[in-house]
Amino acid sequence: MPLSIEEILETVRMTEVEHFDIRTVTMGINLRDCASDDLQRLKKNIYEKIMRVASEHVKAAQKVETDYGISIANKRISVTPISIVADGYYPEDLVEVAETLDRAADELGIDFLGGYSALVQKGFSRGDLSLVHSIPDALARTKHVCSSVNIATTKAGINMEAARLMGEIIKQTAEKTASKDAIGCAKLVIFANVPEDNPFIAGAFHGVSEPEIVVNVGISGPGVILRAIREAPDELDMASLSERIRKMAYKITRAGEFIGKRVAELQNVQFGIVDISLAPTPMPGDSVADILKAMGLEDVGAPGTTAALALLTDSVKRGGMMASSHVGGMSGAFIPVSEDAGMIAAVERGSISIEKLEAMTSVCSVGLDMIAIPGDTPASTISGIILDECAIGIMNNKTTAVRIIPVPGRKAGDSVDYGGLLGKAPIMKISELNNNVFVNRGGQYPAPSRGLRN
Amino acid sequence: MNQLKEEDIRKIAEEALRQLGHSASPESLEKVVKATVSKLESSGNDVVEEWKEVKATRLKSKHDRIIITAFGKNRTGILAGLTAVLAQHQCDIIDLTQKLMQEFFTIMLLVDISESSSDFESIKNDLIQKGEALDLKVIVQHEEIFNAMHRI
Repeated sequence: MPLSIEEILETVRMTEVEHFDIRTVTMGINLRDCASDDLQRLKKNIYEKIMRVASEHVKAAQKVETDYGISIANKRISVTPISIVADGYYPEDLVEVAETLDRAADELGIDFLGGYSALVQKGFSRGDLSLVHSIPDALARTKHVCSSVNIATTKAGINMEAARLMGEIIKQTAEKTASKDAIGCAKLVIFANVPEDNPFIAGAFHGVSEPEIVVNVGISGPGVILRAIREAPDELDMASLSERIRKMAYKITRAGEFIGKRVAELQNVQFGIVDISLAPTPMPGDSVADILKAMGLEDVGAPGTTAALALLTDSVKRGGMMASSHVGGMSGAFIPVSEDAGMIAAVERGSISIEKLEAMTSVCSVGLDMIAIPGDTPASTISGIILDECAIGIMNNKTTAVRIIPVPGRKAGDSVDYGGLLGKAPIMKISELNNNVFVNRGGQYPAPSRGLRN
Repeated sequence: MNQLKEEDIRKIAEEALRQLGHSASPESLEKVVKATVSKLESSGNDVVEEWKEVKATRLKSKHDRIIITAFGKNRTGILAGLTAVLAQHQCDIIDLTQKLMQEFFTIMLLVDISESSSDFESIKNDLIQKGEALDLKVIVQHEEIFNAMHRI
């Protein structure tokens, strides 16, 4: 059946009016074969491998953009967790490795490089601990490098020492990048149940069970879904609303998979997965919050918001699963604050609190994302927030995360502007109640019984 | 470090096979691969550069049907302007639909560019330039993306 003019115009409208784009094409690169007991040699191996393997990544993505008229916002790289590649080194050595990664990303024209990471859900190896301690300096001295630490899984429980330590690391990262409103914290995320094939930043890394080289793709289409919901009459029931979302999710996932496969094919590497998460941008109309409002809420934060988000997330998954054989990563809806114009406005109006956002993370794809908090927040409070998110994650068998920014010198009600995709972050008020004894208990938080599924 | 890894040599062989085509004899393939390997090994630090060249050859499009969408205020010479550009590039128009809604004009062309001596990018640029002269927004895309999105 030939294409109809309506179908063609729909695609054109998605890309031209509704900001439908591919958020990221992320090339995952295995760096385990770069390991060496000589630091200079290790750095050289890593640099040369990335430069060789990803030499055409940006060019291939640009070619696909031109050919198909769909823009690819970011070209990224993810690598094997550096705590594994560079196990046995001291924190100051690891900072040099981070700088090497940054140099490679810069020279290749890569927007972000993820994988300055450690997986410590059941305890630290020496390499893990070195890496975690090196994070503040590594993020302060690099531009493109992103870091993530997985501290909990449904099978292992929560590493309590890691939860406590990460509160401090976040504070130190904020201090070290204080002159830039703690932007280092925007490149650091703490996970529970982290997926190994996630193309999104800051949590992207190339998992140890991944192939040598792979291309994963993340789509972004809140604007497209928003139109589908806005055109729905008020009387439309929930199942029909869900169907509208599914149909749109299907189309954008198909486009995403197609684009990802082409980028992979051009570089003669394996295609991995499509992450069908709806990723908002600060641009007007490209907002997940606006979708929730269009479903019939005065503002995000109104009672019913969590239910609306759950419907959105599930409908997107259903549509995406039909569209692609390989759906992976997070695949749901992101609800970052600073990266979503509707969410920023809701915080500024006082419609939504961090507690409501926490509740929403139990049904969205990730967690408390890009939330700025007062600079004098103690590390133990941040650790407590991390623990709450981990508990939601391990109990519900889902990925949760915390990317939180204690901005030095700022108080609740202030605002910081990071520009670009990171957007503008209003400083949110958080609880000042003391949790010291609880977060300092240490040990291993036991895995929930639902982790025993064999 | 001038020694290539087995993985690299395998990739070179695959690339050579792709470029020579599957009808190539094993002897000619071996010759090409050996020549490439020895060249790479002797050139030392230029390995990255060499790879760039080898990989850059992949960046050629093999799909040859494009869809042109143009819209703007109706005026004379829109169709003539666009088709003149296509004729210049020896492109074959397969299908054409247009719609006029009040003063707003939309046109869609399905075009085969396989016989054209120009590449996709120069055709696209010329069409967009022509569109600007006619106050039209012109979008040029390969057909496959539409099939991916609208056909199960």
